[in-house]
Amino acid sequence: VELVVFALLLVLTGVFAGFVGSLTGLGGAVVALPVLVVAFGVPFPDAAGVGLLTILATSSTTGAAYVRDHLSDLRIGMFLEIATVPGALVGATATVFLVHARLDDALLVALGLILFGLVPGTIARGRQPTPTTPAPQDHVSRSLGLTGSYYDEARKERIPYAAAQTRPALGVAFLAGAVAGMFGIGGGVFKVLSLEQYLRLPMKVATATSNFMIGVTGAAGASVLLLAGFINPVLGAPVALGTVVGALGGSRLLPTLRNRTVRWLFVPVLLVLGAEVILRGVGWA
Amino acid sequence: MAGVLRVGLVLAVVLLAAALVTLVARSPLASSGAYISANPLSRYLDLRTLAAGLASGTPEAFLTLGAYVLIATPVARVVSGTYAFAAVGERRLAAITGAVLALLLLGLLVVGPLVR
Repeated sequence: VELVVFALLLVLTGVFAGFVGSLTGLGGAVVALPVLVVAFGVPFPDAAGVGLLTILATSSTTGAAYVRDHLSDLRIGMFLEIATVPGALVGATATVFLVHARLDDALLVALGLILFGLVPGTIARGRQPTPTTPAPQDHVSRSLGLTGSYYDEARKERIPYAAAQTRPALGVAFLAGAVAGMFGIGGGVFKVLSLEQYLRLPMKVATATSNFMIGVTGAAGASVLLLAGFINPVLGAPVALGTVVGALGGSRLLPTLRNRTVRWLFVPVLLVLGAEVILRGVGWA
Repeated sequence: MAGVLRVGLVLAVVLLAAALVTLVARSPLASSGAYISANPLSRYLDLRTLAAGLASGTPEAFLTLGAYVLIATPVARVVSGTYAFAAVGERRLAAITGAVLALLLLGLLVVGPLVR
């Protein structure tokens, strides 16, 4: 297609991805990356590079908004980044080696399986009630003072929280970083798993903190993919610009939405994109 | 820290948007295929080439600079976080944030060049 049409379609892809990504805390790339591969025929490593630029744009956009709204917990976010950053370096290095070994298709199938794997957690997450009392802290959480509170606009009350099981949370955060570095997606689902299931933080704080963390993880992965030549700014710029617009809209809407609404919006998108990417990986599409 | 994110984001958006509009306006009906297969950033990894591209107003050079700013923004945020925690006497959190910064630099200066 003509460059002008191509650029406009990429911007629109970014707007949609940024909106959905910021509402779910998963980052825009989880939508943008499979769309680039399936609809635009972008090779996987370049799509992963665009994915990283997209999550950097989403994180800076929503991160600023959530920090302003006091939804992000900077202390807990920084604590988990000690695990996500090495994870991202390992994941991005693995991608470079796999692409050089011409295993791009295997990476696509793995990406599709990850998208499918997000569905059960996404559905279950929507059903969980918001905890109203802080979870019991472990030694690390107490010594670092990993506690806080936030004002829930939908419930019209201030809800206190505290970080609980820090060790398993760090393990899952490493996995989140590895997925981010390897596939160029935010790994947000693993971050929110770490933040909600182990640290026992309320969903909105987990989502906002995850968005805040995704940028640092993305920068770690991008530093490796950049030097490997997998980041193409001509593809990345329109998607990232669209993502900024979409993510701004999403971050304005999040505080007023009910948790379940947010989750159910995302499930059909994951299913369709996961199937498309797997079909592409096995050569049936 | 929200200020660091906002400044970095605005700068990246201005650079990327201006360069993208210029690039498209230069040859709006060109085939998009060439832009998928050719990556200008590989050419501009060399900073002198990047500086020359910026000086001559090449849109691809400005797109590359915008990508660099986007990547550098969260790193700047970690730097400001280390300072902020240290300034209020939170030594352990300042040490953790400093370690995150060291890991980011490890990626850029050691891991990236090794796997290149």
